[in-house]
Amino acid sequence: MMRWRKVWPVLRREYLSRVQTKAFWISTALVPILLVAMMVLPAWFMRRTGGDFRVAVVTADGELAREITERTREHAAARTGPGRMTVTIEPVEPAPDAAAQRLDLKRRVANKELAGIVWRPETGIGTGEVEYLSVNVTAVRLVSELESVVSTAVTKRRLLDAGVARDRLEALTRRVSVRPVRIGEDLRETAEAAFEKSFALSYILTFTVYMTLIFYGYYVMRSVIEEKSSRIVEIIVANLRPMELMVGKIFGVGAVGLTQYLIWVIVAINLGVTGLVAGAAMSAPLVDPKLMIFFVIFFVMGYFQYAALYAAVGAAFNTEEEAQQTQSLMSLILVPSMLLMFPVMASPDAKFAVIVSLIPVFSPVLFFTRMTVQMPPGWQIALCLALMLVSIFVIARFAAAVYRVGILMYGKKPTLGDIWRWSRQG
Amino acid sequence: METHLEVQAVSKAFGRVTAVRELSAAVPRGSVFGLLGPNGAGKTTTIRMVMRIVLPDSGRILFGGRDIDDELRELIGYLPEERGLYRRMRVLEHLTFLGEVRGLARPEARRRAGAWLEILGLADKASRRVEELSKGMQQKVQFAGAVIHEPEMVILDEPFTGLDPIATRQLKEEILSMRGRGTTVLFSTHVMPQAEELCDHICLINRGRAILQGRLDDLRAEHARQALRVESTAPDSELAAVAGVATVRSADGRRVLELAPGCGVEATIRALAAAVPLSGVQVVRDSLEDIFIKRVEADHDAVA
Repeated sequence: MMRWRKVWPVLRREYLSRVQTKAFWISTALVPILLVAMMVLPAWFMRRTGGDFRVAVVTADGELAREITERTREHAAARTGPGRMTVTIEPVEPAPDAAAQRLDLKRRVANKELAGIVWRPETGIGTGEVEYLSVNVTAVRLVSELESVVSTAVTKRRLLDAGVARDRLEALTRRVSVRPVRIGEDLRETAEAAFEKSFALSYILTFTVYMTLIFYGYYVMRSVIEEKSSRIVEIIVANLRPMELMVGKIFGVGAVGLTQYLIWVIVAINLGVTGLVAGAAMSAPLVDPKLMIFFVIFFVMGYFQYAALYAAVGAAFNTEEEAQQTQSLMSLILVPSMLLMFPVMASPDAKFAVIVSLIPVFSPVLFFTRMTVQMPPGWQIALCLALMLVSIFVIARFAAAVYRVGILMYGKKPTLGDIWRWSRQG
Repeated sequence: METHLEVQAVSKAFGRVTAVRELSAAVPRGSVFGLLGPNGAGKTTTIRMVMRIVLPDSGRILFGGRDIDDELRELIGYLPEERGLYRRMRVLEHLTFLGEVRGLARPEARRRAGAWLEILGLADKASRRVEELSKGMQQKVQFAGAVIHEPEMVILDEPFTGLDPIATRQLKEEILSMRGRGTTVLFSTHVMPQAEELCDHICLINRGRAILQGRLDDLRAEHARQALRVESTAPDSELAAVAGVATVRSADGRRVLELAPGCGVEATIRALAAAVPLSGVQVVRDSLEDIFIKRVEADHDAVA
């Protein structure tokens, strides 16, 4: 029922008319830059939240006060570059009238003489809790600096009290870092660069799938509307079946997307996305080529579903403005993918994650995101691909019917009921 | 004459509106065939059914004696009433694309596209974008795109709308030269003088039904009432008394004598010359437009 010799010219026209534009090459270069920027910029801005902070530490324990003061000074000295943060400690002996002292210190905070107050009047083992008073208790960096310094200092103090020799304190309180090792297939162990970096890779790949689905679906819709509004569509369907025109268009625009993906994949495999994100020249951790293959497959399967839907929307309306409203219906399908991405990424094996990721319209984003974290079992991959194939078929049938009727309808904006009727009669 | 395209009792309804009702017509091979009718008569729907853009609810459409299908329609060149081009495409590329869509292989499409641009005098615009062309030039490109595959039949839906006088004359010449090459031309119009000038055959449709069709000359002979326009010093009463004259009326300083039914032109002129002083006689006939208006009005009266 489809004559490929008819589809081919449409496909080539769609492909060339897009690839030959500057916009294509600019977006090919810009999207990865944007994505990396989205990952790197928040951290960078975070680092810009530096400055000098003066914090009063209220404690009866002179040893503890000294330890905190020294530690913060050491940290401040170790920091360099822009966004550097220095914390100066002002040790304060608890006064007999605690309430008056507290009030007095709070006034100084309000007057901006102090950034905050660490309140730990008691000595000894204590409650394991320290109060921090400030007008801005969400200054994340400052609070975490204080938390780390005070916690270590209190721990050391407890060890001293327990009779541990002072020269062993450093060794006993050294921070322990957790090194991630991924268990792959064949139980092979792969050292991961770091949790954050592995997360960044998942995020970048998944987000790329999501964004390109929206972009390319939208291109298909615009292209259909353009053919309607420029009144060329009737010239073409005099020789092509509407289905041939639609398929040529979807394949042509899809081929553009695939070209873009291939460029990204080749660059990613060669550069190593992780290296880019870390902002460091890392030679070893290249992106897993198998994951890259699924990256392309999931884009393609998602694209066919969304492109067909967008083609139907485009065919139903006369202008982009009219289509806008229905498009927000489309985002009702796409947005849950985005919202569920983080929960699914956090526990990719949970029953909930498995179920939502197998819903065909969500799979391109959610199933793929599971793959970036850990490869799901083979039967799930097979089931997911099969369900998407069925979905593509069903959506394409619906879209083709709407498309067939819609492309020659001008004038009044159709209602959703009209579109449903077209899908029946087409 | 061999029938090239035949429409047999075709009907098409959109919802509750019946656009075409039991329409039958035959287009002889090599003719220029006019599909005439007021706006909304069903011309475009009929043409779209021939092109299989919409499918008839009932009836058959035969092309060269066979039921038309997606392969046979390749033999038709079609220019719809609503027509446009991809604005951002380059002219030669666009025409090549249309050639491919019409079924030509790409190298052949490209060759013919180039040749057509020469013919249209647009060779120097080949690598311009369509949107840079004037409207008239775009219309020429659209026309070339419709006939680039050298079809047996060309169907033009309201081809003259929006054309300036020069382009109108060029298109008329092109239609006649296509007929000269043996191509069947079917076009729709609601402008009767154009049809009268170009067509061998017509089909007049109103409200979805054919109300008059056949060879234009035959239809004229059958339906056009004849009249004589005379220059004479004789008073109306004397003119009216001549055998064969039914009525007399004055029109721009001359008198027009309507002939009584069944009276020949020649016999009436002889009778006139014998009876009254004559300084000039001219035979006038109803134009196609007159026939058209009369028939359409009669059709409405019949329903009302």
